[in-house]
Amino acid sequence: MSQLHLSDEILMAFADGELDEPVAAAVAKAMAEDPGLARRVVDFQQSRRLTRSAFSSTLAPDVPPALYAAVSAQVKAFEAGNAADDTVTEFKLRPPPAARSGRTYPSFMKMALAASVAALAVAAGYFAGQREASGSNGLIAQLESPSVRHALSTAASGQDVELPTGRLRVISSYRLANGSLCREFKLQGAAGAADAIACRRGEWNVDFAAAKPAGSADYIPSDGADPVSAYLQSVNAGDPLMGAAEAQALAEAAR
Amino acid sequence: MPAAIGQELVALLPRLRRFALVLCRSYALADDLVQGACERALANAGSWTPGTRFDAWMFRILRNHWIDHLRRMKVEGMTEDVETHTQLIGDPGEAPILSKLALTEVQRAIDTLPHEQREVLVLVCGEDLTYREAADILNVPVGTVMSRLARARKRLVELTEAA
Repeated sequence: MSQLHLSDEILMAFADGELDEPVAAAVAKAMAEDPGLARRVVDFQQSRRLTRSAFSSTLAPDVPPALYAAVSAQVKAFEAGNAADDTVTEFKLRPPPAARSGRTYPSFMKMALAASVAALAVAAGYFAGQREASGSNGLIAQLESPSVRHALSTAASGQDVELPTGRLRVISSYRLANGSLCREFKLQGAAGAADAIACRRGEWNVDFAAAKPAGSADYIPSDGADPVSAYLQSVNAGDPLMGAAEAQALAEAAR
Repeated sequence: MPAAIGQELVALLPRLRRFALVLCRSYALADDLVQGACERALANAGSWTPGTRFDAWMFRILRNHWIDHLRRMKVEGMTEDVETHTQLIGDPGEAPILSKLALTEVQRAIDTLPHEQREVLVLVCGEDLTYREAADILNVPVGTVMSRLARARKRLVELTEAA
């Protein structure tokens, strides 16, 4: 044991409590016999204390408010994005992993988009289409009614359909990367108007909706975007299906 | 669902900024680095394993972000030779920032250390990470962490005793 070579690294690791017990015991024994070794260990303990105090004081002045604000905004966008994800999850729309790769939008961009959807929905007095939140009598609740679903299966984009609940107009149809067929539509009823996106998974299910009560002022977002198109962008809806392509997609979906 | 890391991230800002300052020695650049690292972290929140050290995960992201920054600045050999290039990268008005501060002699001594010794010093002695955790962040073997750290601390003791 007297031949034990005690390098600086070993003594430092001892001082830092990083040595395994057998080695640590050997070092402790050697230290007891050699004041020089003990001194080297004390130096390593001292350098740690010095460094710690140096780094904890003036080297880290207060975080500037601008940095706090920027990161807080990022976090808020991120968490709003998660909330939007929750809404989507409720309706069981989950792009498959394959559909996530090779996207045009980086994931942060998608979060920002989702966040902007949430922000717009609040700002405009819209409410995102959570069925629980909207109550059973609201316009949102009508979006999955049999007559609406039937219209979604049959009406071409741009065509108005008069329904018991109001006038429905399909605005456009999209094929998502995961293969599902989705349609953006507007339902205008006595109680108000709703913009919604329904995707077909055996039946038409509303994945996103923004409604506003009758009599409320039209809301035009300053950047020209609206919640529905932001949502479409966030799910990478791509180009709408036109004419024959849409008719064929509807025919296939009806099978 | 990604882990909810937002609160931890904000709470970690002072330490992230401190590490960024050790890396780049410029306040303006450090703030940019921290912000960029936070953006990366949020975008990859799912890759953090709950139950592991969040701070170590963030330090690694921050340092990788810094290395990418150096790469974008077309600085060669940044892993072993960051120190000689750092002055080129930092805001000339601010580097070396430390001279502007009323430094204790310890801080002045730390500032004279080579870059790769400073970063391991701040991680282990400033942030209380283990050698293993520091090695993972710096992407070097534990033995390298130990030799850099031992050299840095011996030098520190010499400098502060001489002063």
